[in-house]
Order: sequence, then C-alpha cells, then structure tokens
Amino acid sequence: MREVPTVNVAGTAIRRRTAGPPASALVERELLDRIKAHDVDAFERLYRIYQPRLARFLINLVKRPQLVEEVLDDTMMVVWQTAGSFRGTSKLSTWVFAIAYRKALKARARWPDPLEDGEWDTRVSNDPMPDAELQRSRIHDALDRAMRQLSTEQRAVVDLTYFHGLGYRDIAEIVGCPVDTVKTRMFHARRRLKQALPGTLADWL
Amino acid sequence: MNDSTAFDLNLHKEAEELLPWYTTGQLDRAEQALVERHLSGCDECRGQLAFDRRMIDEFAALTPEIDTGWMRLRARLESPQSWKHRVRTEALAAWRSLARPSVAAFAFAQLLFLVVAGSILLSLSRPAYRALASAPPPQSANVIAMFRPNTTESQIRELLQGNGASLVGGPTPADAYLLRVPARSRQAVLQRLRSDSHVLMAQPIDGNPS
Repeated sequence: MREVPTVNVAGTAIRRRTAGPPASALVERELLDRIKAHDVDAFERLYRIYQPRLARFLINLVKRPQLVEEVLDDTMMVVWQTAGSFRGTSKLSTWVFAIAYRKALKARARWPDPLEDGEWDTRVSNDPMPDAELQRSRIHDALDRAMRQLSTEQRAVVDLTYFHGLGYRDIAEIVGCPVDTVKTRMFHARRRLKQALPGTLADWL
Repeated sequence: MNDSTAFDLNLHKEAEELLPWYTTGQLDRAEQALVERHLSGCDECRGQLAFDRRMIDEFAALTPEIDTGWMRLRARLESPQSWKHRVRTEALAAWRSLARPSVAAFAFAQLLFLVVAGSILLSLSRPAYRALASAPPPQSANVIAMFRPNTTESQIRELLQGNGASLVGGPTPADAYLLRVPARSRQAVLQRLRSDSHVLMAQPIDGNPS
C-alpha cells in the first residue's frame, strides 16, 4: 500500500492512498493479456502481486490459515482458467477480490470460524518482549478480537476500506451489493469496533 | 423537528458515512467538498475522522506474512485436472470458433481445397490414367509456404497460378504446403510470395537459392 501526498483540509489530514501494489494497473493488464495466452511467468508475477493482499483479505474472512491458502489458491486458479473471460469493465483488482470473496463465503459455509481462545487476556508470554513491541502486539490482538465481533460482511467492508484503501463503489462490486449497503455496513461496523476495543475511545484517537 | 434540523441531520449522516473513504482519499470532488463543509462545524465527525485515521494506521501496520505458496499453486497448474480443464476449454473455444459463420465458411473452403488437391494428386499417382510414354516424371517441391489462417482456397489458387506454382504436397503437420515453382524464377517468386499479405512464410527447400 502506497501513500501519496497528504492533503490538509479544515484542520485535518487525509491520507490519499492508492488501492494497489507498486505494479500499476497497466502492468497488471499486460500480465493478464499474457496469462490469457497461458504464460506461466506472467501468472507468477500476478500471483506475487496479489498473494499478500488476498492473504490479508482472506484471513479476516475465513480465519483458518490452511483455509486461507486453499481459498487463495482456488481464487488464483480461477484467474488462470478464466482470464479470457475478463472483459475489463471493472478494475482487475475488483474482479480478483470478488472471486476471492465468493470463494471465502463458500469456504466459511464448510468450515465455521475456530473457537475463540478464552485465555486471551490473561495469557502471559514466556518470551521477554521489549515494551514497545509488547504494546504493539497488544494493540494488534485487541484489534483482531474486535474484528471478530463483526459479521463476515462487515469485516470484508472494513478491511477493504481501511487496509486495501478501496472506494465504496469498488467494494460494492466485490461483495455484490448496492453502494448504500456498503456505507451502512461500514457505519455499523465502526460503531461495533469502538464498543469492542478495550479502553476508552480516547485511547484509540 | 423543523426542516432545517432534518436537513442538518441528513447531512450529518451522509458525511459520517463517507468519512472512511474521505480519510483514504477515495471520494470524488463533490463528496469530498460535502464532507469538508460538514467537518468544519461538527465535533462528532472530527472525532470519527480521528478514529478512522487511527484504524487505517493500525491496519497498515498489520503486515501479512508473504507466503511462498507459488510452488504449491504452480504444481496445480500442471496437474492432470488442470490439463483436462485446459483441453476442455480449448476444445470448446475451437468449437465455438468453428461455429461462427465466417470461420465455418473458411473451414469449408479449406476442406474443399484439400479434397480437390488430394484428388489431383491421387489422379497423378495412378499409372492407368497416364498416356503411354508421355507422362512427365513427378516433380519435386522446391518451395515450402504457409498461408494465413483466413486465406481462402480461391486466394491460394490465384497466388499459385499467378506465380506459375503448382501444389506438390501438404498440408504438413504445421499446415505448410509444398510447392513447385519454375527453377529459374524461384527467387523472384519467393519474393512475391513473401510480400503477399496472405503468405506467412515462403522458403526454398532444396538449399539451392536459384
């Protein structure tokens, strides 16, 4: 995820982030054209661009690491096998994420989330950890726990917005719902996140 | 609630819903302007904006581990199931392609050409049809040529006739044709064939460039 110049407006800063990896959309389209001709090298390059993004997206949806691998591979196999059917009416990333989302929902139907680790907040690690690292680890655990309080649909919208930097129109296309539904899901997801995060809201501002 | 209050509440709801994408710079100009106008007078939305910014920072810090799963996927590309899928897909594509009227007409023309060419070759190979002592010895090919896939039988015939060439054999497994052209003018014929838009390739095949 790249950040491009910060814009100051009304005393606040907005992060104008691009929704993609360093490879431009043009490069991705060229790779896809080569994949249509069964060019395995081009497919490997596209895989390496999308693997981290999809892994990150999927772990929020299916939770089990093995299932993430399975869904990710299935998603990329669909890209390989049906690249010829991609008409370019949407962004390539939107098409790939939409395939991954549908695969993830199917996988979830077969494999529900693993049970919660009930000892999460009392666990003491035996490994010495620097304070800053410990603090970061706690924040990540807290965030992960809060995300688990959300529905699958809400998690998808939150992750696609906050981490992948996608606009609500692209997200609507990926998850297959109206744009207003995306906005509503995000609205309620943020409320639930605030309630589920430990400490006071001021700690998270 | 008067109209003005209702309007403000609607505006507040609209702006608050858009805030996450304002924060990531994903709004169009009109939406961005709407949010900015509202932000300047709404403490609640400024607080929400701070929360969104924090979440974005935290999410960005959660860097996923880059797995080395490529080799696993690469193996699937080579699996029998994948090959079956590919063969099935390509067979389907070929059938769809053949079903298109223009391609079907071309395929029929090619088939017709092969039947006619085959009949001629067959007739030449039958001794019973030769006039006594007058049959010319069978000529060997001195040019190999490939035509573009959309070339029709009549276009190929015209090309051969226009260059004094005759068909000796083919199509080969690579869809090339063996031709006999007058030995003295072979170089000129080769040049004309190569410059023709229907010809993919034309080469001498006996190593004699004459």
